Amino acid sequence: MSTEVLVRLNINGEDRTLALKPNTTLLAALRQHLGLTGTKKGCGTGDCGACTVQVDGDPVNSCLMLAVAAQGKRITTIEGLSHDGELHPLQHAFVKHGAIQCGYCTSGAVMASKALIDRNPTPTEGEIKEALSGNLCRCATYPRMIKAVSGWKEFEGVPFNSKPHGHAERDQVRDHDTVSHGVTRYDGPDKVTGRAKYTADLHLPDTIVGKILGSRVAHGIIKRIDVTKARALPGVLAVITGADVPDAFYGVSPAREDEQILAKERVRYVGDEVAAVAALDDATAEAALKLIEVEYEELPAVFDPVAAMAPGAPVIHPEKPRYAGNINTRVDWHFGDVQKGFAEADLVREERFIGNRTYQSPMEPHAALARWEHHGDRLTLWSSTQTPHYLHRSLSRVLGVPMGSIRVIRPAVGGGFGAKAEATPLDFCAAILSKMTGRPVAMEYTREEMYTHFRGRHKQYIDLKIGLKKDGTITAAEHTVVLDGGAYTSYGVITAYYAGSMLPTLYKIPNYKYEGTRVYTNLPASGAFRGHGVPQPRFAFESLLDMMAEELGIDPFDIRLKNAMEPNTRTGNALDISSCEFIATLNRARETSGWAEKRGKLPPGKGIGVGCGGFVSGAGYPIYRSDFPHSNAMIRVHEDGTGVTLHIAAAEIGQGSDTVLVQIAAEELGVPYEWVWMADCDTTVSPLDLGSYSSRVTLMGGNAVKMAAANVSAQLREVAARELGCDPTALTVRDGRIFVPQHPSVGMSWADVARAAFSKKGPVVGTGSYSPPKHLGGEFKGGTVGTSPAYSFSTAVAEVTVDLETGYVTVDRFTDYSDAGTVINPVTLHGQVEGAIIMGLGETLLEDTIVGPSGKFANANLHDYLIPTIAETPAIHTAAVESFEPRGPFGAKEIGEGSMLPVFGAIANAIYNACGVRVTELPITPEKILRGIKANGGAAAVATGARG
Amino acid sequence: MAMPDFTYVRPGSLSDACALASSLGADAAFIAGGTELIPDFQRERETARQLIALDHLPELRGIAEDGGGLCIGGLTTVSAVASSPLVRARSVALADAARAIGSAQIRSLATIGGNFCRAVPCADTPPAAIASGARVRLIGVHGTREMPAEEFFLGPRRTVLTSGEVLVAILLPAQPAGSGTSYQRFSRRKGASLAVAAVAARITVAKGRMQGARIVLGAVSPVPLMISAAAAMLEGERPSAALFAKAAAQCAVEALPITDVRGTADFRRELVSVLAQRAFEQAVERAEGRS
Repeated sequence: MSTEVLVRLNINGEDRTLALKPNTTLLAALRQHLGLTGTKKGCGTGDCGACTVQVDGDPVNSCLMLAVAAQGKRITTIEGLSHDGELHPLQHAFVKHGAIQCGYCTSGAVMASKALIDRNPTPTEGEIKEALSGNLCRCATYPRMIKAVSGWKEFEGVPFNSKPHGHAERDQVRDHDTVSHGVTRYDGPDKVTGRAKYTADLHLPDTIVGKILGSRVAHGIIKRIDVTKARALPGVLAVITGADVPDAFYGVSPAREDEQILAKERVRYVGDEVAAVAALDDATAEAALKLIEVEYEELPAVFDPVAAMAPGAPVIHPEKPRYAGNINTRVDWHFGDVQKGFAEADLVREERFIGNRTYQSPMEPHAALARWEHHGDRLTLWSSTQTPHYLHRSLSRVLGVPMGSIRVIRPAVGGGFGAKAEATPLDFCAAILSKMTGRPVAMEYTREEMYTHFRGRHKQYIDLKIGLKKDGTITAAEHTVVLDGGAYTSYGVITAYYAGSMLPTLYKIPNYKYEGTRVYTNLPASGAFRGHGVPQPRFAFESLLDMMAEELGIDPFDIRLKNAMEPNTRTGNALDISSCEFIATLNRARETSGWAEKRGKLPPGKGIGVGCGGFVSGAGYPIYRSDFPHSNAMIRVHEDGTGVTLHIAAAEIGQGSDTVLVQIAAEELGVPYEWVWMADCDTTVSPLDLGSYSSRVTLMGGNAVKMAAANVSAQLREVAARELGCDPTALTVRDGRIFVPQHPSVGMSWADVARAAFSKKGPVVGTGSYSPPKHLGGEFKGGTVGTSPAYSFSTAVAEVTVDLETGYVTVDRFTDYSDAGTVINPVTLHGQVEGAIIMGLGETLLEDTIVGPSGKFANANLHDYLIPTIAETPAIHTAAVESFEPRGPFGAKEIGEGSMLPVFGAIANAIYNACGVRVTELPITPEKILRGIKANGGAAAVATGARG
Repeated sequence: MAMPDFTYVRPGSLSDACALASSLGADAAFIAGGTELIPDFQRERETARQLIALDHLPELRGIAEDGGGLCIGGLTTVSAVASSPLVRARSVALADAARAIGSAQIRSLATIGGNFCRAVPCADTPPAAIASGARVRLIGVHGTREMPAEEFFLGPRRTVLTSGEVLVAILLPAQPAGSGTSYQRFSRRKGASLAVAAVAARITVAKGRMQGARIVLGAVSPVPLMISAAAAMLEGERPSAALFAKAAAQCAVEALPITDVRGTADFRRELVSVLAQRAFEQAVERAEGRS
């Protein structure tokens, strides 16, 4: 063992002397020894840039620098940027331009930007892209970072406020004071200063760390497991195996609970959890894992879902006969009569499309911190989760502890995109190890463990058949999908339903048949990833529609307009669409993109293509059967009348839901945005919300908050009416005043009323609850998946350049129009759409997990699993069309997931237009394009006109 | 994985560093920028338990003119190489190769010596330096030796360095009059990514004819690969697309690519052909002062 040495560091202008082991990185010194947790750890290997600090002015990855090597140098962290409580103008610019979403990459991005502007105060877009390409942002807030870094000087000497910046990108005009305005993000200032605390930033005295041992074989039976040596290692406080954890199975789908905290007997993929340890530090915990002896009887493994269904294939869940043939779930839907539909068609075409097994790659690794309190009978769990309620419920069921004895706290979450939508082994093991040791236990995944835990996108094998009339009218579609589920169910049953249910919400498909089969394989479990189950079928549909339009000589926009969904329609699969401005998105995208001037007129290698998409605004039914309202909110008026605190156990994961909910509260209360304090998400004080999945928070959480605010407002009007001697219904509330609109001078300040109310009757609390309407269609088996109070629609046009010699694709431009109903906050909405476009670009062109020979992912890191950097950012124009959803708060519906869906098809169609190569298997790599170009006669042939 | 325990010393001089490393043998490793070493520790690929720091030794850092050429200290950061007008004036290829490495953050820490000594097959600066005729200067307990940079590499992560020996400088010679260089590289994304294939070239054009071409492939063989047969095809000839295609095809034939997560061997071979033609064209353009 090496001994500690004294290390003198100059940090943010202060000299600090620390006793450190020489192997301590600068990042660990900052976070663990100095408590400067604004600097984040995203990978530990220099790939993500979340740990960027300035060393003698230069940007460096603090995870790659030893603290001892930083001696004698000036180190500046995010905490050193703002002075005297004022944001640095660069930080101010980040907030005002909306260059912050989940915030996990923000400190690093700000520090890399600071290093740039220190040398070059007026950088060009190219210089910004070069300087920030080592700062990965999965929310892909890149276009806004470019604006912020270009325009930072504008904020020199300007005091901060939360007012919208300039015109703040408003596409719609609404007579509201807060809603529809681009007020700054609620969590912006805390995230841009590094103050926001994520789970791994929290520190409790006496905390120890936990680590999990995963199986090294893809399929096997544990014959023997010996933890004696691990237990004997000094510094190890507890070691647990399958024998020490409850027998209960857990899972997202109640009908398919198939996971256990640690394997009891069988392991089903490389990484399947086998044992866990709690130790004084990471190094000891890892050393202990290596001392655990596990003997496996290795069984044949299967990594391909089609092979897994074949007779004689290894059976992955043999104890559950219902999964015979490794079939986890099967969906069989038939609406109308596809035989008749195809018979009526003038053109029928069937193609196979294959998707990719992509990973959400949120920048914040999953983390959990558990502590038992009271008499050791109450658990508090801090967790990086996007579904606090489902986590709460899973903990209760698996640990056998009532929900009332468990407190789940969701700190800031650094992105989820579906990866954090269920309880993880970290949550369970931290709770169990903490109970056993009586000490707080902190656990987090390494970047590699995140890939191993997975829950990424299902790889789908899609056979799609469409029938069209000569004029482009769709007569029928038959959609057959095999989904590679991996070893467990996770969200997979729902995925299999969504893969089928969302195709007919966009186009009118009178006859529709869907067969979806989710199959177990010996791979990490796939789950719910932004756009849940739909992106790959949507890619297939948008591609095939273009292929067939070409055969019929119809413009891609015309064929979409011909079949476009309209408002107040019951879809071919019996779902009820309410508001729908899909046609407006098509028309606007066509016009703004310059489609008519460009399509067919671009030089070889350049192409333009369109894709469309739509999604639910919240699922019509919860994941488990329950009559609980889906969203519940509580608003408490501050005793001194200075505003309110909003409580809701929703999950801000970067999408901006806190901001939107605060705006809705302020608007309905009639008070300024700044008067609303969003309470931390803590299940002891925040009422239940189902969480951030299925794009549900704006509509459902928003409705609950609006009701709670209306309830408060009614109480205050009562009090004011008594004071003013008028009828409460005669009063209106706006801009912090309660008054008679016909005689505005007759009124009182909101604060005076609030104080009077408290003085007279004590706490003023309003609550609101939202449940989706009962009859949303889908009255058939599995039809509940796909029901929603409202649906979004969008159209995107992509412009690309294909290098005809290497197959490299550059996405030059995107034009996107969305029907998201009323836009609550245009800045966060555009940030979501831009992020979806860039994430979709990554999935379409770059991303795939590669299964190695042993079944382990061969690229489980951020330098081989490539996600888009700022250098990939195209020019993006996004806008929302005029739309109003009667079921949404102030007319709003979703944006976060639907905006992903047009991207894949738009890029694929643009590539075809550029070079005549139709790639039907994702990702569309240069190698596949080049193969296609060669098959078509090479680059020269493309240049002379052999293209789409 | 957590970092293993190790000791860390900052010797007072280069000779002390060499002597210490030599006495410790395989248990010791020099640390420069650490951008490769630290992840290698975490991946349990590095076994040294005694680190000897070099970053504080001023004689190893900086770029100095040396005759018409340059002496680039082994501990000079990649960022300094990328932004040096002195380097760019002599070898655009080397400056571009340095700029292509990783991210701004990596380039601030990583050193050109480290890029050579870790000897990763996809390293960017070695092919460009070799094409530019660079030599390396090594100092160890047995004295100083110099050699052409192409002779430095023995295999993936293997070099000629003996125990206790330090790569103290890359010597970039004055480039021949009328020469131009180019570094062409293909990676899967624009920002911060490793090369899938790369080609560096230097071509001298005299009276319209090419001579003394140096062509080096990166990321497609265990070590940077000089393709003399392709250079020979260009010798004495006038630049032409047809000739470039032929020489590029020769490069593709001689490449020794592997299939890995970044690309297949076949694709890499095709890339070599395209990148080589582009490198030839650009080197000639630069030689002729057209760009």
